[in-house]
This record gives sequence, C-alpha cells and structure tokens, in this order.
Amino acid sequence: MIRYGPALLSVLLSLAAIAGYIVFLRVAAVRNHPELYLVAFAIATLIAGFATWRAAHWPNFVALGLSVVLLSLGGVFNFVLAKIPAAPTVLHVGEPAPDFTLPDASGAPVSLASFRERTPVVLVFYRGYW
Amino acid sequence: MLTELGDEGVQILAVSPDPNEKSQELAQKLRARYRFLTDRDLEVTRRYGLLHAHGGHKGQDVARPTTVVLDRRGVVRWLQLADSIQVRPDPADVARAVRQLGS
Repeated sequence: MIRYGPALLSVLLSLAAIAGYIVFLRVAAVRNHPELYLVAFAIATLIAGFATWRAAHWPNFVALGLSVVLLSLGGVFNFVLAKIPAAPTVLHVGEPAPDFTLPDASGAPVSLASFRERTPVVLVFYRGYW
Repeated sequence: MLTELGDEGVQILAVSPDPNEKSQELAQKLRARYRFLTDRDLEVTRRYGLLHAHGGHKGQDVARPTTVVLDRRGVVRWLQLADSIQVRPDPADVARAVRQLGS
C-alpha cells in the first residue's frame, strides 16, 4: 500500500496559497507580500520532489509537475511581468507638487492649487480599468 | 479604497485615464471623500514622471500606482511609488501620514 499523503499535502498547499492570496487581496499585508505565494509554491515543490524521490508513482509526479509549473509562472509574473521600471519623478518629499488641472467625473475642471491653504490632499495615481 | 480617510478632513484626488462616472458613483455610495479626475492622455501622469509605458493589460500606457500626501501648502510630505503592479499602499500608513500633518 503506497501512501500519497505528501503529494496531497503539496497540491493542497499550492491551492491554499492561490485561494488565500485572492481571498485576502484587500489585506495590505497579503497584497504587498506576493512573495508569500512563491514561498508556498516552493515548499509544495520540495514536498512533492521528496515524495517523488521516495516513490516514483504518478500522483507524486502530478503534484511535482503542478507545483513546479506554479512556481515558474508565479516567479516570472512576480519578478518580471509585474515589475515597473524605475523612472525619475518630479515628486520629492519636502518639495511642492507641480500644479495641474484635470476634469472630474462631471467634467468640471479641478486644479491642485485650488486646495492650497484649504485642506491637505491625498493624491492617488491608479492604473484604471480600461 | 482609502475609506479610512473619510473623517480625516482631507481631500482625496484619484487620477487615472478612465472616464470616471462609475467610480464617482461608487465612492458616493461608500461615502468616501474621493474626487476622480480623468487624465485622458496621461499628460499630467507623464509630466509627473509616473508613466508606466505599455504597462496595461492590453499593452496600453498606464500610471505607475502612486500615493502622495500633500500638506495645506501643497508640499509633498509622504510618498509611495509602486515598483510592482501587485503592490498598493497600506491605507493605515496613508492615514498615519495624514494625521502626522497636524491640523
């Protein structure tokens, strides 16, 4: 009787890492540490690799294949595709932000300078959705 | 979303190339003090040095996710520039930076 507990553990660990990342995407500590899912994939690969070394049976190979693919794809995404090239910005702590005027959702022009002496501003640049 | 900042007496300006009617409706539902500004051609984003060329999911130019806290004089007091598209500032850090401005 061959036991596939380690293979199952490896697959469950990978799936839990994916599910956990998605479910807790709004939690800053999870979102801002994407390397956590890579650590989980790496541990899953080690477990499946050890299981395959102990017994070369197909469930162990499946677990090893899955975790190696996830580790590779996750690594490429995290270290290559998701990286933003550093570029010089005009923003520096202690210096004024350059003024601009942009339309708001109703089309009314809004200038950054119009908030001066009135209220602090949190200025957010985001990627947008389309 | 930075809904934590609703009571901090601060104006949140959110800049993206999107036309933002939908975002504004959502913000009003959440009672957040957001004003969504449309930088259609990314002209301001580029001038600020925050363009992530071909960074969008269709290869279009997008903004490098950036959060800036400005005091009443318009001076930058806190700044976070993302070096990965996966990362966003922790709202608690932004709220702390705003509180440290004093009133």
